[in-house]
Amino acid sequence: MQPLLQTKQLTKVYRVDAIETPALRGVNLEIYPGEFTALAGPSGSGKSTLLYLMGGLDKPTAGEVWLGGQRIDGLSKAQLAQLRLWQVGFVFQAYNLIPVLTALENAAFVLELRGEPREVREAKALEALQVLGMQDYAHRRPNQLSGGQQQRVAVARALAARPKIILADEPTANLDSKTGLALIEHMRSLNREQGITFVFSTHDPRLLERVDRIVRLEDGQIAA
Amino acid sequence: MFNLFSLSWRNIWRHRGRSLLTAGAVGLAVFFTLFYLSFLGAMENSIYNNLTASVGHLQVRVEGYREKREFRDLLIPGVAQVEARLAAQTQAQWVVALEVPALVAGETRSRGVLLIGDRRPAALREAFAKQYLAEGQLPEADDLEGIALGASLARALRLKLGDPVYVYAPGTEGRGAGAYRLVGLLRFPEAAQEARSAYLSLAAAQELAAPGGATRIELHFPFTRYSQDAQLAVVQPQLAASLGPGLSVESWREASPAIAQIFALLTPLVLIFAAIFFGLAGLLVVNTIYLGLLERTRELGVMVALGAGPAQVARMVVLESLLLCSSGAVVGGALGLLTIAALSGGFSLEALYGPVGSEFGLPSVVYLSLRAWDIPITLGFALATGLLAAWWPARVAARLEPVEAMRFTA
Repeated sequence: MQPLLQTKQLTKVYRVDAIETPALRGVNLEIYPGEFTALAGPSGSGKSTLLYLMGGLDKPTAGEVWLGGQRIDGLSKAQLAQLRLWQVGFVFQAYNLIPVLTALENAAFVLELRGEPREVREAKALEALQVLGMQDYAHRRPNQLSGGQQQRVAVARALAARPKIILADEPTANLDSKTGLALIEHMRSLNREQGITFVFSTHDPRLLERVDRIVRLEDGQIAA
Repeated sequence: MFNLFSLSWRNIWRHRGRSLLTAGAVGLAVFFTLFYLSFLGAMENSIYNNLTASVGHLQVRVEGYREKREFRDLLIPGVAQVEARLAAQTQAQWVVALEVPALVAGETRSRGVLLIGDRRPAALREAFAKQYLAEGQLPEADDLEGIALGASLARALRLKLGDPVYVYAPGTEGRGAGAYRLVGLLRFPEAAQEARSAYLSLAAAQELAAPGGATRIELHFPFTRYSQDAQLAVVQPQLAASLGPGLSVESWREASPAIAQIFALLTPLVLIFAAIFFGLAGLLVVNTIYLGLLERTRELGVMVALGAGPAQVARMVVLESLLLCSSGAVVGGALGLLTIAALSGGFSLEALYGPVGSEFGLPSVVYLSLRAWDIPITLGFALATGLLAAWWPARVAARLEPVEAMRFTA
């Protein structure tokens, strides 16, 4: 089977005031369709950096990133935006919902960027909210939702766009254990029932217990 | 369900106070621009109507009359034929005038004047009397004895209504001298004009200086607005061609070049003021949009991360700026139009510039009125302000890197 996502000798070095800080050192990783994978490791190990590079949010210093058979590390800013728009879903640690939009509108945001018709957007966003049990909160704004509900809306936003892969950066870090667990269960069932590929960066042991595969990172490298 | 338009609309009202202040500044600029443009329109119309009422829209004279020194060289040959051609060519009314340099005397004093004998259609005669007649009446068309003088000229000659007036016009082709009776006193805005004006009927002036002669034919078109003046550009050369060589057809611009120059300066002057108003308002718009951008950098970073392209982000910033300016423009425009409507019935400016204004042909009562392009120009300014103010913030927004933006703290 062809990997959905692949990195080859992926290296990222941050330069600030001529001081170089290596974040990733030659990471080789393959993610296959339908996987539920966690990137684990201590803070500063390069989890988020790897996630961002795999999603085309940042450009590597060296190495290659392949998504769906296409090399993406050399794409332009606008091409990367198109790639993220159509192929990648993101869930962030801080939810990052747009405060002036309702839950339904947030869930439909990516579809609006794609220019999909209003009825289609609304139907897909509502369906995603239903999957995550948020349909009753569809017309609430983020400040009227709890942290767990906001994160479920954020997952619905990624889900509604039906991407090839959802990349989640510490999705349970800001949630209490009960809410975090519920969210994990939601994502796990989406993975099982709809075959959506998930890759997380996390050090949440509850999440690590439920993934198919754990990729451990240490000092910017995959630990043996 | 939202779209980028409604998202931008919601974004600008996140900081209600700041946005209201900014939209208010744009509204104020729109209000003042509309007001000044309507005021300018009113002044233009008033000055134009005053001026053309006294000199006509077009004047037919002998070609090169300014250089001619002899009275007889100034006489229009074949006045009756010229009038017949005018009747066939134009819908305008006309005044036939004979201007004669003359000496006017009372019992004890005399003054050099420009004696004018004219024949006016009833409507123009009525308008002339309404505007300039201070006392008595104008000489009737068939009156060979009545004369009207400028009030200050009559004072200088120590004459009152009913007194005899003696006129000498040496070197002319008529009787050269005559005795008349003072029937009217005239008051003109310009003191110099009042001090040297004397009016006879055309028949009386012709009998005195040039039987059947005239030196000037004024054409008065039924224009009430300066914007209609553009039609003269078509009519003038047609008339000149039909009258043939030896005669010139001059517009009021050529007859009064100084006022024509003032007209040409008025609109650019108001537009410069408008540009300053909108420039100041634009600085507030830049400030509001850029502050909004700084405060929402993380949010914009998320949008970029989710797939918003540089053009989409820039478009959203531009849209916010345009919506902010449009909101102000709608309110300022509505208030401006209401004010203009309220003042379109006329208001006095004498308190502002006193009697001096009339010396320059300024109207004592101004009727605010908008010209066809005043509203598009004002809205164009508001639109340009929105676009220019958004240019830099939009550029910054379009260059946001998602990872850096999401880590940004203001």
